Amino acid sequence: MLNGFKNPGRVALIGGQSEIGLSIVTQLPEDKSREIILIGRTGKYALDVTDKQARERVIRELFDAGDVDLVVIAVGLLGNDSKLSTTENLLAAIDVNFLSTVHLLELISDRMKQQAHGTILVISSFAQVRPRDDNFRYGSTKAGLDFYARGLASTLKGSGVTLKILRPGFVKSKMTEGMEIAPFAITVQECGKYGVAALKSRDLVTWAPSILKYVALIFKSLPPSVFRKISHR
Amino acid sequence: MLITDPIPVSGWGRNFSSLSKRASISSIEQAQELLAQAKVARGLLPVGLHRSYGDSALNSGGTLIDLSALNGILIDPVAGTATVGAGTTIRELEQAALEHSLFPPVVPGTGFVSMGGAVAADIHGKSHHKTGSFSQCINWIKVLLASGQIVQLFPTDDEFWATVGGLGLTGIILELELNLREVISNSADVREVRVKDLSAMVELLRRSDADYEHTVAWIDLSGDYRGRGVVSLGNYGSQKVKVRSGGSSGPSLPSIGGANFITPLTVGAFNELWFRKPLKHGTVALNKYMHPLDGVNNWNRIYGDAGFLQYQFVIDEGGEEIFERLFAGLRSLKAASFLGVLKKFGAASPAPLSFPRPGWTLTLDYPTTVPGLEKFLQGFDEELVAAGGRIYLIKDSRISHSLVPLMYPEIEKWRSIRSTMDPAGLWQSDQARRLRLC
Repeated sequence: MLNGFKNPGRVALIGGQSEIGLSIVTQLPEDKSREIILIGRTGKYALDVTDKQARERVIRELFDAGDVDLVVIAVGLLGNDSKLSTTENLLAAIDVNFLSTVHLLELISDRMKQQAHGTILVISSFAQVRPRDDNFRYGSTKAGLDFYARGLASTLKGSGVTLKILRPGFVKSKMTEGMEIAPFAITVQECGKYGVAALKSRDLVTWAPSILKYVALIFKSLPPSVFRKISHR
Repeated sequence: MLITDPIPVSGWGRNFSSLSKRASISSIEQAQELLAQAKVARGLLPVGLHRSYGDSALNSGGTLIDLSALNGILIDPVAGTATVGAGTTIRELEQAALEHSLFPPVVPGTGFVSMGGAVAADIHGKSHHKTGSFSQCINWIKVLLASGQIVQLFPTDDEFWATVGGLGLTGIILELELNLREVISNSADVREVRVKDLSAMVELLRRSDADYEHTVAWIDLSGDYRGRGVVSLGNYGSQKVKVRSGGSSGPSLPSIGGANFITPLTVGAFNELWFRKPLKHGTVALNKYMHPLDGVNNWNRIYGDAGFLQYQFVIDEGGEEIFERLFAGLRSLKAASFLGVLKKFGAASPAPLSFPRPGWTLTLDYPTTVPGLEKFLQGFDEELVAAGGRIYLIKDSRISHSLVPLMYPEIEKWRSIRSTMDPAGLWQSDQARRLRLC
């Protein structure tokens, strides 16, 4: 349950190894009594996110053990499109980033509606703003997730459950090691701060960093020929 | 029976809310009917007037049972007892009892507390050093168990003491009988004394307990945080006074658009005025004396939309040094309390979850927006527990569940009695979930 300062008592991180996810849950206002449950490949709630039955079982067990105040969904396969250009890698990314995550959101939001409280934080991406030649495959998986999450957030109104979306740009982490650093890059720690701010924000969407909100507006308004040139830098 | 759709409900602190259905019960039969249909899932919780500050009377995703219609009062002037419904308020009981020159021996700072709530929190008042807590004047309670069975419980029963202070988690308290005390009039003889600091306050309260039925002190925790204040001492009076009859006790605080008016500056100014106000010396109407909080309705709105929390703890006699550390910490946070109250408790009741026990109890109110307050109080909770103190659960919305067994060492006994009264876990509350009580 939330405490009197509206801070969560029982928190689950799906994608228990995610650097961004860990950065968010560890930067919540300090509370020694908080239980943080890491859901990853190992541990009490071991989960292969692409296994439908495992998803159903783990979410059931998680909520049967007690109310969950916050679920951070930080599973995802990252990759520029040279990596996702093989069919196998592309299908895996669609499975993890979209199909499995959407199913998790269905399961989690159903259980949260029963308890009539709870917050879900979905990690989307700046990459979903507009297709670029070098990452439209990855971007499309996040675009699908983002679209679904916005729809779900709307249907949750009045249920006591809230859903927030974090859209980070380039985050300097182990996952992006070796990649060319994009403008407005932030550290994992900084991204975590934006994630915590997203939970208290009145807005559905929080950009990390905030300036990306305006960059996205510009990106969307550019004519295709100009956009191609810029994105090919 | 009226059952609403899920609606947001908050405690008196208004610092958070949760969605629950609300079933209004107008008879015992209706309560039984509700139980017959109930599913355990998110459970049921009997509630009173929502004067608990935090989440004791919230049940997110479940159903609250409003018993305010069970408000009968039957006074037996010969025996000096009252049989009351769970929904009867302290204020209603006082008015009815005074007609027979009787009065409830234990009343809290507000008259807007239901009988069911008074038992479930085992409330106390300014008379605790003489009378003990509310349960000490009860002869029996009638409780509707989760099974649908109605039982009459006496102070010789374990289930009686599990229900006293049991936060509504053992069953629905339907009715009870309590002993009233004789009074000569509807007034109190009051004497107020200004004191310059905490040690003078402690000393005066100690000295006055033998001579006064009611003792309490208002403590100024702003400015230099030395704990100056006004000690109020009272006995039942002999002179009849005129009182306004009827409904509301005073003006209502209008909605003030969500802003918080409690800042170090406003509290400092108010406390300065309050400290300098002319002292009472003489006869005061009992209801005004007993319920100073009822002077303004909805006073809790003054903290704005973010709400506030009340921190009340008890520490053994001799453990007063902890106050110094608390005051120093609050001073460094610039956390100024609008309503600070110090009182010396008498004997404890046998209820495992009853709060009062011999020692000093301090009550403070703070807006939840004070920077650093959450972390500071977490640290202070641990110091308090190490010093043998505990926090009043009916006021709480924030302590760590791991501290509860240290504050209430008999909780295991309570759990085992509770589980025999409600094996399936039908009675649930947000506080019980947060503090893992059951």
